[in-house]
Amino acid sequence: MPDPISAAIQLDSVIKRYGDTLAVDGLTLSIPRGELFAFVGPNGAGKTTTIKMIAGLLRPDAGEIHLCGHAMHRNGQAAKSVIAYVPDQPFLYDKLTGREFLHFVARMYGVKPERRDAVLTELNTRFQMAGFLDKMTEDYSHGMKQKVVIAAALLHAPEVLVIDEPMVGLDPKTVREVKDLFTSQVRRGGTVFMSTHTLEVAEAIADRIGIINRGQLIAAGTMSELRALADRSQSLEEIFLELTEEEDEPTR
Amino acid sequence: MNPPAERAAAAPGLRLLIGLKLSVLRNLLRQAVDEAPLKVAVSVGFVALIWLGLYTLFVEIFYSLQTSLLERAVVMPVMFNIFFLALLILLTLSNAVIAYGSLFSGREPGFLLATPVPPIHLVTVKYLESLFFASWALILLGLPLMLAVANSEEEPASFYPLFLAFFLFFVPIPGALGMLLAYVAARFAPRGSRGVLLAVGVLVLAAAALWSLQLVHIGETTPRYAKVFFERMEFVEAALLPSTWVARGIERALHSDHSRALGYLTVTLANAVFASWLAVTLSARGFSRAYDRATTGSSRTRNAEPANRSNAEGLCERIFFYLPARLRFLAAKDLRTFLRDPLQWSQLAILFGLMALYLLNLPRFYTDLLETSWGTLVPFLNLCAVTLILATFTSRFVFPLVSLEGHQLWLIGLLPLPRRRILIAKFAYAFTITAIVSVTVIVLAAVSLHMHPGWALLNVVVILGVCVGLCGLAVGLGARLPMFGQLNPGRIANGFGGTINLIASVTLVVGVLTGMAVVAAHARGTGPTRPPDPTSVAAVLAIAALPLAVGLGALRLGGRHFEQLEV
Repeated sequence: MPDPISAAIQLDSVIKRYGDTLAVDGLTLSIPRGELFAFVGPNGAGKTTTIKMIAGLLRPDAGEIHLCGHAMHRNGQAAKSVIAYVPDQPFLYDKLTGREFLHFVARMYGVKPERRDAVLTELNTRFQMAGFLDKMTEDYSHGMKQKVVIAAALLHAPEVLVIDEPMVGLDPKTVREVKDLFTSQVRRGGTVFMSTHTLEVAEAIADRIGIINRGQLIAAGTMSELRALADRSQSLEEIFLELTEEEDEPTR
Repeated sequence: MNPPAERAAAAPGLRLLIGLKLSVLRNLLRQAVDEAPLKVAVSVGFVALIWLGLYTLFVEIFYSLQTSLLERAVVMPVMFNIFFLALLILLTLSNAVIAYGSLFSGREPGFLLATPVPPIHLVTVKYLESLFFASWALILLGLPLMLAVANSEEEPASFYPLFLAFFLFFVPIPGALGMLLAYVAARFAPRGSRGVLLAVGVLVLAAAALWSLQLVHIGETTPRYAKVFFERMEFVEAALLPSTWVARGIERALHSDHSRALGYLTVTLANAVFASWLAVTLSARGFSRAYDRATTGSSRTRNAEPANRSNAEGLCERIFFYLPARLRFLAAKDLRTFLRDPLQWSQLAILFGLMALYLLNLPRFYTDLLETSWGTLVPFLNLCAVTLILATFTSRFVFPLVSLEGHQLWLIGLLPLPRRRILIAKFAYAFTITAIVSVTVIVLAAVSLHMHPGWALLNVVVILGVCVGLCGLAVGLGARLPMFGQLNPGRIANGFGGTINLIASVTLVVGVLTGMAVVAAHARGTGPTRPPDPTSVAAVLAIAALPLAVGLGALRLGGRHFEQLEV
């Protein structure tokens, strides 16, 4: 059972190297339950590596990751049962239909058929998947795939939703639906950890925003806290550019 | 949140994953039959053809062995041992490649690893999957062998189930060894060790070549040679080798010695179960670490050695010295992709490497065959092997080239050169690669067989014609029947256009080989060590003109379509 007191996501001094490159450098971060946290940073800053470690795909070289009190690399199965991970490139089995894939995921998490069907009906209406759900996923566009993997992630009502670049390839209407879905997920007590390059989305829906550059968390807080930190600046875009430029200067 | 009352008991992971794989297989077969019945029919036809060819070969071998009781008693057991040892090695390697690809480099393990599926279930399913793919050997090699043995001897009815059981229980042993190799490579091989692994591979191949050369050049007369040969091959009968248990078991089954056959079968089964358990348990226990290591790789290899890289890239362009600058850059781009994709170059290197090994071994036996009708048949068979390998290579790797440009076609379309010339660059790349490799092999064959320079030159002309024909077909049909939306070259090659190209390539090769068979039959009287007569020269030149015309015609057809294509 998840520990109700502990943070939804807890990273303590996490380090990850790729050969000689330090991808994540002593990252410490605590995300309480019921928060929508947006993770932003330049290309190659360490966002996807951090997300993959949270999802249990990669192992930190040092440091600890806990999800709802479960240590990811000591009690992986328990930790993975409370989260859902949506990668930046959606994975689906080419030779399954979207519906077959969703049924498989539901069975994997032990979701009862009645609940599965109820959730699917709701998501089907929200994402308008009826037109393609019974076709092989190999024929799907990126946007269709993204809709199906987001639906699959929500089937078992995860405590924590970890999602990498959720808005890429989605039409404006679906972007709106996804934003609403995240906020309703948080309203119900869930936690959303989202990495994105779309700063407007982060600014509009995130409770807190973390800025990562060269593997280090250089700022984290609400929009007003970030404004205070960056002084004078107003939008997240300006804050982001100011903070990441300051970080880049010594190397020039 | 999802309350516990709304959750059913999670389905057992292993059963669920096996069910998933069966659903994928069912959909795949249904789709293939519904959408591409021609492709299915052609594939089944080719498998049947290979199967029939192997069956005929095995029957001929067993028939010739039966001519002498001594040969039958001595050679048969050794042959079974060598057959199963070769199968053990090949299946181990193919399982290692399949297991590594499916466990550590595909996207599916990443998806499953982020779910609560226990690693032991994931690894078990992947193990069963690689066994399934490897078990094609059972259908393609095992069944014709069994039926050929049955055809040559008066077999008891019990032989058939025993033979099948031996095969089924044997397959998991190389499967487990392969999986362990894949796991060890992912978990422990030093990061950025591609160069080291390549060097080890080359050393192993060189050692194998040296050993086979020593085996051939014993320097004895034929009867004495056989004695020394069998002495040196004794290791294949080592009692600890799984291939020996299977070979001896089948031999006992042939002689209705059921108790001993069952004894060997039990040993094989026990070892298969133990090896499978060991491989799956070890791989599952360290799976997340191995996956992490395999997928994070090394940034050093990408950033370092700029000097070597620029040398290699310079070489890529120098090879196409005969092309104008713009076409040279395009062809060099494809060559770079080829060299950076181990799947492509390793396949070509393995096929032609094995061919070269065979050719190095040939002179020893060929000397004895020169006086028989095999004298002209052997060079013809060499040509068959080379052309069929070329057809496979161009269908799998050259045909998808144009389709793969789909996403960048707008960019290429902006280049200040006619689109038709892009096809010429692709053709030049494919022709250069295939011509270098196949002409090397054909010249090696000519030297090994002491062929007259005239015959050697004619063979080179034919193989160059075939290269033009196959590359022209693959590039031309690739442009005429492209699949621009697809990024996976395997799927492009397996699509409608790819199937048409494969059929056309094999038909062309069969046409050329039929012509060459007639020439070989005509020259049987003089043999390939004497100069070719004018009729043979004229016939070979006419034969070489056929693929030349087909290739250039296909290029023209593809070019016309490609020029008008809207993207």
